[in-house]
Amino acid sequence: MPHKLDKIFYFLTFLISIIPIFLVLMLFSFLLYYSIPSIKYNGLKFFTSYYWYPGQVYLPPVNINGILVPYGSSFGILLFLYGTLITSLIALIIAFPISIVVSLAVNLYVNEKFKKLIISLIELFAAIPSVLYGLWGIVYLEPLLSNFIEPAMNKYLGFIPFFSGNIYSGAGILASSIILCLMILPIMTSVINGSILNFSTSIKEGAIALGATRYEMARLIILRGIKIQIFGAAMLGLGRALGETMAVLMVSGSVFNIMPSNIYSPINTMAEALASLLDSAFMDSTGMNLYALSELGLTLMLITLAASLIGRFIVGLGIIRGFTRGEEI
Amino acid sequence: MNIRVIKDFSFKLLGYFLILFIIAILVAITGSIIINGLHSITLKMLIENGDTTSGGIFNAIVGTWMLVGVGILFSVPIGIFSAIFIVEYGWKRYNSIVRVFTDVLTSTPSIVLGLFGYLFLVIQLGFGYSLLAGGITLGIMMLPYILRVTEISLTEVPTNIKEAAISLGAKKMDLIFRIMLPYAKNGIITSTILAISIGAGETAQLLYTAGWNNGIPNSLIKSQVAYLTYVVWAGINQPSNYSHQLAFASGLILIITVFSLIFISKYIKR
Repeated sequence: MPHKLDKIFYFLTFLISIIPIFLVLMLFSFLLYYSIPSIKYNGLKFFTSYYWYPGQVYLPPVNINGILVPYGSSFGILLFLYGTLITSLIALIIAFPISIVVSLAVNLYVNEKFKKLIISLIELFAAIPSVLYGLWGIVYLEPLLSNFIEPAMNKYLGFIPFFSGNIYSGAGILASSIILCLMILPIMTSVINGSILNFSTSIKEGAIALGATRYEMARLIILRGIKIQIFGAAMLGLGRALGETMAVLMVSGSVFNIMPSNIYSPINTMAEALASLLDSAFMDSTGMNLYALSELGLTLMLITLAASLIGRFIVGLGIIRGFTRGEEI
Repeated sequence: MNIRVIKDFSFKLLGYFLILFIIAILVAITGSIIINGLHSITLKMLIENGDTTSGGIFNAIVGTWMLVGVGILFSVPIGIFSAIFIVEYGWKRYNSIVRVFTDVLTSTPSIVLGLFGYLFLVIQLGFGYSLLAGGITLGIMMLPYILRVTEISLTEVPTNIKEAAISLGAKKMDLIFRIMLPYAKNGIITSTILAISIGAGETAQLLYTAGWNNGIPNSLIKSQVAYLTYVVWAGINQPSNYSHQLAFASGLILIITVFSLIFISKYIKR
């Protein structure tokens, strides 16, 4: 083959390899460009108000400080922000000990053959499409929560303020958190399991030789050694939970303008608000609804990116979604 | 027995209990969808078009595969050629920049990708809700995955084989197309299959890029597309019993598709 063809091929592949960079830059600039009118109009109130109302889009728009907006509209994301953070944090609090204990137990007590089976079964959680989590959540989890688990929690844990008060239909913070917990378990277990496997065998053997039980080896040696990776795993899990849309949309109760009073209350998150409000935003002739939702999307993206990139940096594997699908990359 | 042994034993019990508990939940979720799906699905659903409240899901099945197909056609060539550049030509700093940007792309929430797809593809490029808009939005999500796996498969090609090819007089392109790509073939196919399984189960990107169609789309742009995950979401939120059945039937097809794709990819890898 002539040398010239090699050069053409070089430039061709170079141009193609720019596409991922180009896409990310486009993504940011589009979100930012569409957010600017909303940033100008809403200012800081966007983050401090929890009242979101698209306005009367069929009435003539009103002029506020020189900007045309739908009559009666108000854009505050505090409720969504709170919902995103609280559901993800509770999910993390549940998933954190489970993933640590499971990955330790799998490595300490289970033989090699079953270990592989268990790890790949847990990774199957990541393969289930998120609408199916939502489907299961609506049909089975919500009745289970509202009929049995939530009354029991109310009775026995009611002395904690956040756990007392009214019980609703089952759709709410607790249901969303449980579903999110199941969705982030595989990535956390994978990462922690990987770092246990990479942990120096001679140190582990040394601990056993000195007479430590396996539990002592796990608690005193391994856990201390992989502290940072565990933090990274938690960040990766958090990053996934923050951006989850469909499953939460189906089991959260999708409430507007009412701050939740306890863990059983219906809630709304940023991702699901974006999914459910975009439809009506197209009706708005002033475009302000779309601008405000773009700002919401930008905020969500920045929060998610912060968590995920910190996690990726710490774990240092360049882990991607596929990692949780039984593909240790 | 001394206290240390008891502690060790109780940790073991706790571990076993949690492992069994988690696997039980997995079985409960997949089992409930499969059993309900088997009770709901009928042959008529599989061959008729429908609108999530009546009829069947034929249009949704076809639409899902069309969207995934466009996504794969978009992401696989870009992913493979970018990976070739990174492995064979790229310098260190450029590669790490590409890495950071693909990481950003994977970390982006799917609904934000959907919003971008709407703003850029549907509005700016004027595709409307369509196969092209939905498929490319899916492809953007698949791209970092294909890129990364191909990159790893290409780096795994043994140096002595490459050196042997070069010493026999192979040019760069011979090396890439005759030695490296065939060697990395399995990795690329595996990643493509897994990307299909990810794409088939996505919803949030498609809500505002693909729309819904009671039939089969008749053109690449400005013709909306139906997809299975939408039937699950819309069906279960409607009161009628039949739409619940449609939701479970779509759930069954989705879960069978996704799981069998994963098993196929594991088989190929081996």
